[in-house]
Amino acid sequence: MQRIIAIAWLTWKAALRFRLFLVIAVLLLAAVVGLPVMIKDDGTARGFTQILLTYTLSAITGLLGLSTLWLSCGTLARDIEECQIQVVATKPIARWQIWLGKWLGIVILNAALLAISGACVFGLLQWRAAHLPAAEQKILREQVLVARGLARPQSVDAQINAQTKQVLEERLKSSPDLAGSADLPEVEKQIREQVKAIYQIVPPGYSRQWRIDLSSQMNSLRDRPLQLRIKFNSAGGGTGRTFAGFWQVGDAQKMEPWQSESMSLSSDTFHEFQVPANLLDDKGVLAIAFLNPNDTSLLFPVEDGVEVLYPEGGFALNFARGLGIIFCWMALLAAIGLMAASFLTFPVAAFFSMAVLAVVLSSGTLADTVASGSVGVGNDEKGIPGHSPADMVLIPVFKGILVIVNLAKGFSPIDSLSGGLAITWGELGAAFGQIVLLLGGIIGIIGIVLFSRRELATAQGNQ
Amino acid sequence: MSARAKRFLLLVLAAALLIVSGQVQKSMNRDRVQLGLTIGEPLQNAPPMLAFTTVALGGFRGLISNMLWIRANDLQMDDKYFEAAQLADWITDLEPHFAQVWNFQAWNMAYNISVKFKENAPGDYSDRWRWVQRGIELLRDSGLRYNPDEISIYQNLSWFFQHKIGQNLDDGNLYYKRQWAEAMTPFFGTGGTNFDNLIHPQTAGERTNAMVLREKYKIDPVFAQKVDAQYGPFDWRLPEAHAIYWAALGLKMAEENPVKAKADDLLTLRRVVYQSTLQAFHHGRIISNPFTKGVELAPNLDLASKANDVYLGSMNADLENSNHISAAHRNFLRDVVYFLYENNRMTEAAKWFKYLGDKYPDMRIVDNDPNSLPKNLTLDEYAVAVVQIDIGETSQERVTSAVQGLLTHAYIDLAIGQDDRAAGFQLLAEKVHANYQAKMGRDQPRAALPPMNDLKRTVLNMLLDTQQGLPFAARAALRTQLRMPAETNTPPVVATNTSSAMATNVLETVSTNSAPPVLP
Repeated sequence: MQRIIAIAWLTWKAALRFRLFLVIAVLLLAAVVGLPVMIKDDGTARGFTQILLTYTLSAITGLLGLSTLWLSCGTLARDIEECQIQVVATKPIARWQIWLGKWLGIVILNAALLAISGACVFGLLQWRAAHLPAAEQKILREQVLVARGLARPQSVDAQINAQTKQVLEERLKSSPDLAGSADLPEVEKQIREQVKAIYQIVPPGYSRQWRIDLSSQMNSLRDRPLQLRIKFNSAGGGTGRTFAGFWQVGDAQKMEPWQSESMSLSSDTFHEFQVPANLLDDKGVLAIAFLNPNDTSLLFPVEDGVEVLYPEGGFALNFARGLGIIFCWMALLAAIGLMAASFLTFPVAAFFSMAVLAVVLSSGTLADTVASGSVGVGNDEKGIPGHSPADMVLIPVFKGILVIVNLAKGFSPIDSLSGGLAITWGELGAAFGQIVLLLGGIIGIIGIVLFSRRELATAQGNQ
Repeated sequence: MSARAKRFLLLVLAAALLIVSGQVQKSMNRDRVQLGLTIGEPLQNAPPMLAFTTVALGGFRGLISNMLWIRANDLQMDDKYFEAAQLADWITDLEPHFAQVWNFQAWNMAYNISVKFKENAPGDYSDRWRWVQRGIELLRDSGLRYNPDEISIYQNLSWFFQHKIGQNLDDGNLYYKRQWAEAMTPFFGTGGTNFDNLIHPQTAGERTNAMVLREKYKIDPVFAQKVDAQYGPFDWRLPEAHAIYWAALGLKMAEENPVKAKADDLLTLRRVVYQSTLQAFHHGRIISNPFTKGVELAPNLDLASKANDVYLGSMNADLENSNHISAAHRNFLRDVVYFLYENNRMTEAAKWFKYLGDKYPDMRIVDNDPNSLPKNLTLDEYAVAVVQIDIGETSQERVTSAVQGLLTHAYIDLAIGQDDRAAGFQLLAEKVHANYQAKMGRDQPRAALPPMNDLKRTVLNMLLDTQQGLPFAARAALRTQLRMPAETNTPPVVATNTSSAMATNVLETVSTNSAPPVLP
């Protein structure tokens, strides 16, 4: 361990000697201080805080990510190319220790930079919040500078699957030809949507009730108001139309429920509103009912149609956990850069690392392609799917890439922080496990093997 | 020559060349346009950072703009709007001469994003209003700055005022109107027509006002006065006046730059003018209610003549659509007659009723009544018919409710000093009552309406109720107008009104058939 720490210390010294640490620190601080002056917000304290959080943390992630890749590629590749590694390698130290030492040095450097810039962002947010009017502060402390847990009604996926299967079987009995047809997946999809609609639609003049189990938080939520987050879709009306709605929260048979005035709500968007405290029943279940007084049906998606946001913790710890996930990403990038530098020259390693980053950033396109089932272009208007001979190879490859990418990309600390949503210790632990231990570990092992097998002296000929 | 002197000379030379190239740039830009060397015109009035960005990025501007556009779209799909203003700013900065980009981004903010926000508290649509303002500001403050002769931007800007704020399709329209009126009152005064102080400011405050109106709201008071003279008089605290202002400015720009003017754009601008004039006629006057501290919108009847001229002008200018415009004109004339009648301006109502008959003698004037040609109806019959179309003339409950509604209007107008309107509403209530009784009451006594005096008393008692009625000050004003005794803590017994031509005694708590005090 002492040897690894010695290499880490050498990496630190190199970073300080080349003023890399100073330059990145200044750039990060400039981004944190300069962005609030440059950005144009929506005019609310809430909007400003959200955009500030998003842009500063994105800038920190971007700057730190690029510098990490650059540094990790450079520190190993240049040592090899400039033959300095030969001085180290001839010492009683294993190759894997050199590799891990450099990784540890970069990771600690990142931790320090992240801590400094994160502290600045946090301080800036608190300072700005403290100078706002009381009403704005209240909104900010309740909706953004907070860690809110999210609870949903119990999943109805099992019921939907069972009913879909049942209806499909009945359909196959009545139309046996369908069994071998290429349309079967599409038919099943349509049946599923029809079944799903039963759990989602609130017809005109009708009401629907959801029950959300908050028993595990029952005691901590006593005397604390909750936020209801709702979203619905509608086939009626254009984008400018709004719909009336009445909400009732609390089981009317057990308590005096809270009832809203008529609300003017638009479709296809999330709405958040506060409901009073102490509306859970004696088992910790919150009953929520919606009455649809409109002339058209409204559809509340089972996934996120009705959710309850409840206070779970403070912003400071949540922010720290968010930075923790960003730190995990940096650790992974350091491993990628070092792995590339273990067998490539500095420019090629840098190019390779950037290419990997580009693949990660374009995973949305890959996901769209996998969802459409083909790399070919179809006709959406006529419902004709695309087709290409390359699909047999590319789609499974894309699926594989997505599985790997999503291990790291499946976490969104910046979105959670700007939305005031809690990042749990479990999430942070999962991020560490998946990103650092699993992905970073695999890449590290590959990098160490490549570095251990590399003939270091051959690089001398390139000079 | 020493190295230091050489460096100094080179610096001076560089500065001189920079100044000269700046001068040459102007003529080069002119030549670029004249010789057709470039598709896009050089950027005018841009701040240095924007000018630098557009030049430095070159062909990559479109690419970056596309990426930002995709991000904006993705965020919007995820209901994240806090970045929308910033992204719209960047996108339009990258494509400052592309009018559709300005129009789309502004429309998106004013229409698509604004409605995503719910009512914050009853009647409070401040979150929506912020986005409507953003849309207007984007076009007015930036879009027109870089594209002063782009007609479609004027068209969209005027449409925002006419449709988004002026009409009632958005639940928040009253909030928008109130906010806009509050913003404009310092400039146009409580009457909404204060041009003198803006054009010839005398005091420091007036000069500041004029400057803010020009700099912040981009309104030229001289042109506004010209618009008011041509199409008005308008209340410039209301959105319709501003819709017409921007449409008129667009038409002026089109005249000056005929190459830029497309026929469709001109047509739309003319439509904005006559539709906004009609809107202003319908609700272009603000009536303050000092008791509720609220405001109400009432027809701007003084616009009838000008609005009529605008219709006639539009029919002549747009022959292809003259049939549609003439149908709208006929509807407008019917409204003119009814509103004048409702406001007790009988002479004018009769004049316009005759004009309607002369202009459209072969077209019915009451919906669903094939015999309602102008020659077959009197003015009174027409006014009553209009009310009864809405309420259904055979419904006892609905006619009763309508008569009570008209009487409520009459008493409230009386309390706030709108005597003509009060008299008009009372007259209309009596005509509706009489007409119904004549048709239904005699043949079917069970379906007869309560006597008019009973209805008046019910309404008056309701309004004067100390718990559920009007605010104290309004009750006091109404009592004064009706010459009733002042309110006391003890239940009122009898009040006598002897001055009014229509006056009779009133009992608030004694049940008799004697009539309550009525409008003077």
